[in-house]
Amino acid sequence: MIRFLVQRLGLSVIVLLGVSAIVFFALFLNGDPAALMLPPTASRAEIDAYRHAMGFDDPVLLQYFRYLAHAVTGDLGTSLRFGLPVTGLIAERLPATALLAVTALTWSTALGLALGVAAAVTRGTAWDLLVRLVALSGQAIPVFWLGLLLLLLFALRWRMLPTGGYGEARHLVLPAVALGAYYMSAVTRLVRVSLIEALGQDYVRTARAKGLSSSRVVLRHALRNALVPVVTVQAMQFASLLGGALVTEIIFAWPGIGRLAVQAIQNRDFPLVQAVVLLSACVFVAINLLTDIAYAVLNPRVRL
Amino acid sequence: MIAPGRVVAAADLLIGGFLLATAALFAIAGPLAWPADPMAGSLLATLKAPGSAAVGAVHPLGTDQIGRDLLARIVRGTQISLAIVLVAGVLGAVLGTLLGLVAGYAGGVADAVIMRLVDIQLAIPFILLILLVMAVVGPGIVNLVVVLGVTGWAVYARTARARVLELREQEFVEAARAIGVSLPRMLGRHLLPNIMAPQIVLLTLDFPRLIVLEASVGFLGLGVQPPTPTLGNLIGDGRAFLLVAPWLVLYPGLVIAALVVGFNLLGDGLVRRMDARAR
Repeated sequence: MIRFLVQRLGLSVIVLLGVSAIVFFALFLNGDPAALMLPPTASRAEIDAYRHAMGFDDPVLLQYFRYLAHAVTGDLGTSLRFGLPVTGLIAERLPATALLAVTALTWSTALGLALGVAAAVTRGTAWDLLVRLVALSGQAIPVFWLGLLLLLLFALRWRMLPTGGYGEARHLVLPAVALGAYYMSAVTRLVRVSLIEALGQDYVRTARAKGLSSSRVVLRHALRNALVPVVTVQAMQFASLLGGALVTEIIFAWPGIGRLAVQAIQNRDFPLVQAVVLLSACVFVAINLLTDIAYAVLNPRVRL
Repeated sequence: MIAPGRVVAAADLLIGGFLLATAALFAIAGPLAWPADPMAGSLLATLKAPGSAAVGAVHPLGTDQIGRDLLARIVRGTQISLAIVLVAGVLGAVLGTLLGLVAGYAGGVADAVIMRLVDIQLAIPFILLILLVMAVVGPGIVNLVVVLGVTGWAVYARTARARVLELREQEFVEAARAIGVSLPRMLGRHLLPNIMAPQIVLLTLDFPRLIVLEASVGFLGLGVQPPTPTLGNLIGDGRAFLLVAPWLVLYPGLVIAALVVGFNLLGDGLVRRMDARAR
């Protein structure tokens, strides 16, 4: 177990080093980060002065190691626009994004599970087909389009919910629905397929033969095994969840990290963008690590 | 008797194929059937509702804020978005498959390095990385294609490697190795043909992700720049007129949904087909 943990931790560190290198060197893609960060109207002399002040004229590797050294102490740079440490700006917006993401993941997992189980046990019927259709369309609709449609109907036409904002429960409804729809569909499809497969296994036949009630067979025996891939995939979805949060937050003026990132890109506030990318990769890596560990603990067949 | 799985596969393939064929026809033959200029606006015909006629021309899907015909813009946007996604998808698939081949066959250091790169790539949210790179290199069709393609390689590398690890132990590979086949020939002639089919299916299932990604980047205004339309930037531009002209958002979104469903069904059908054959 210790060996497994050390190995997985080591891999996570390598991945994060790689991400930091990509994030750092992305700024050099157009040749001159100093010119990139200044407004296009900046003069040659201003750019040169800025390049020197920021250390962009040092050897690139030295700059990268300096960036890393600062990063491990929690200093990811200063926002060009706000003049404040980027970590503080991100921390300020973190609760909003976390609230949105957790709400979206919770309702989508719950409903997806229910629909997936319902479809799997009624396989081949009209109900199954209906659930498959709902799941398919949920996966087909881009988050931002669904968000705009919800906005149009519930906020603009029927005036039932606010068009945007943050603070009360009613502000959360539309963004959480828009963001969660895709995952609800994904969970439904996955639970359905995975449960249908589990129901065909020998241990299910054994359980049935023992005379257990069919709800007990499905829920206690088959579903437990069917959930393993679902948990893994949901954890993997996290990266794309942040992508969805990006556009959702823009549409509903939700003051989270996604909106911060898009505004940072529009303002050419690169240190802030870099920090958002790096920190979201950290969260992704941490979640994967935890999933792997949970997986190993829960499933005795996974060797440590 | 035909197995039920085969019937579902056939239905998926049929419906998916039909949707995609319709979309392709729409993009290719659209300009011939509907010759309105997607770039030419008229201030006498701004924000006209679908089906209305203005200054002598009918606009089946209405017009935008500067009086351009929405149908013509969606046709052009579909062409551009589809072209971007197809080229980017193939680019990512080729790149990833090659690296996966090398990783799986060579093993050792090459394998470890390539697989760590896969982990690194998958740890970064696609859209953030793409937005960051687009902000640095500047918007534009070529940049967008390269960024979407290069960032999409990881899954192909992973599956190609897994397949090659299985193939490596098989007799025909051992035989080829025994007669001293060169590395490029081994990869290209012996291994590649055996992993092509699943990789192509994977590509089909990856297109929906790319379509939505391209549309999201367009929606956020960092993709192809107006006045050139794409499915994403049409929605992004229409957003400001959501209440007065919802059709500007509605119709491009329908095309995106049709494309995504089409590719998903086609991919699912192909997967079932392959599974059925494997049994």
